[in-house]
Amino acid sequence: MRDLIIIGGGPGGVSAGIYAARKKIKTLLITDGFGGQSMISAEIGNWIGDQSISGYDLAKKMEEHLRAQEEIEIVDDDGVCVVQKIDGGFSVVTKNGKIFETKYLLITSGSHRRKLDIPGEHEFDGKGVVYCSTCDAPIFKNKTVAVIGGGNSALESVIDLLPYASKIYLLVRSEIIRGDSVTQDKVRQHPNVEVVLNATPQEVIGDKFVTGLRYKDMKGGEIKDLALEGVFVEIGLIPNSDFIKDIVARDDYGAIVVDSKTQETSCAGIWAAGDVTDVLYKQNNISAGDAIKAVLNISDCLKKQ
Amino acid sequence: MAKITIYSTPSCMYCKMAKEFFTKNNIAYSEHDIAVDDAARDEMLAKSGQMGVPVIDIDGKIVVGFDRGAIEAALGMK
Ligand SMILES: Cc1cc2nc3c(=O)[nH]c(=O)nc-3n(C[C@H](O)[C@H](O)[C@H](O)COP(=O)(O)OP(=O)(O)OC[C@H]3O[C@@H](n4cnc5c(N)ncnc54)[C@H](O)[C@@H]3O)c2cc1C
Repeated sequence: MRDLIIIGGGPGGVSAGIYAARKKIKTLLITDGFGGQSMISAEIGNWIGDQSISGYDLAKKMEEHLRAQEEIEIVDDDGVCVVQKIDGGFSVVTKNGKIFETKYLLITSGSHRRKLDIPGEHEFDGKGVVYCSTCDAPIFKNKTVAVIGGGNSALESVIDLLPYASKIYLLVRSEIIRGDSVTQDKVRQHPNVEVVLNATPQEVIGDKFVTGLRYKDMKGGEIKDLALEGVFVEIGLIPNSDFIKDIVARDDYGAIVVDSKTQETSCAGIWAAGDVTDVLYKQNNISAGDAIKAVLNISDCLKKQ
Repeated sequence: MAKITIYSTPSCMYCKMAKEFFTKNNIAYSEHDIAVDDAARDEMLAKSGQMGVPVIDIDGKIVVGFDRGAIEAALGMK
């Protein structure tokens, strides 16, 4: 049986893989792709050691660093769908139907975007409903769009759209915008931006492409329609933790609860790190550091046996 | 040789990956940056019914996103 299976190939998983290999822990890393969430980012300015790097280049560098290690087995085209407890460890079942056994498990499977879950969203995905503003903002040149969300990613999305869209509604569900105040000012002061507070989206409207968005004004209670061609969804993240939900404790948001000293979960033998956990701050460097912390703790546990 | 046109934006990483895939496999392609070329944008929307990049036209077969399997199938590589 292997000593360790790492699930995920983002900054958390890759950092863990490199440390595990250098510690000569018998490790398998399973992921359905390298790089993690910021891969789609045009510019990352806070990855320590690189003043500026694209998400794509960072993903490549991380993968190359991992592959340069001799002592690690990698499956990079498969995802984990179920984990079961077995005698002396765990068995991991993948989407391609493979089964791997391990003594210990480290989960660094990150998170994915939350969807609006309203009529029309799925139907018009790629036809005006957008989840990657960095990629698709230029398509909306001279068009009217809405960004949904009140956090930093919604504000960033507005910034991505400013050079292109002729009018941007920022629809926020609550009474305040939570995102960074400097970015907020920049967004609020721009003549092309209109902030709509207390707005809950109800339906994406369209024919071939999106033509409008219906929302409810939570203060007055009325239903209102906006004529527009793009709906940019930036309403937060959901941890990729479903495959482990029966074994480890999760919080109300589905984040795996960890001990911040060691990254251990509620189940002995399973560690978790990065965006999939209840860590307060979600960042590349934090995922890397926390995953490394987990491997060092796993290494200690292996030595004690 | 298949005639390949890729519709892209400069900040789209999946576009970059698609182009790299073609380069690696020595496959020639032409590119339209729809951030500056409005006519190409409209052409892309008409061809694909999609408002997302990359859109790749391989001899009239339309692939949306960097879908490696679909690209290989359209090129008869598999
Ligand atoms: C557009 C954007 C820009 C960002 N910019 C920055 C920035 O500038 N600086 C910064 O510090 N942070 C940034 N972030 C946040 C940062 O990307 C995340 O905090 C970081 O990616 C989390 O790393 P992770 O390894 O925990 O998880 P993730 O990056 O989510 O990686 C998870 C990995 O697990 C894999 N996976 C998921 N489920 C399974 C499964 N069931 N089986 C196998 N593999 C699976 C995925 O394919 C992925 O490789 C940005 C995020 C986004 C979306």
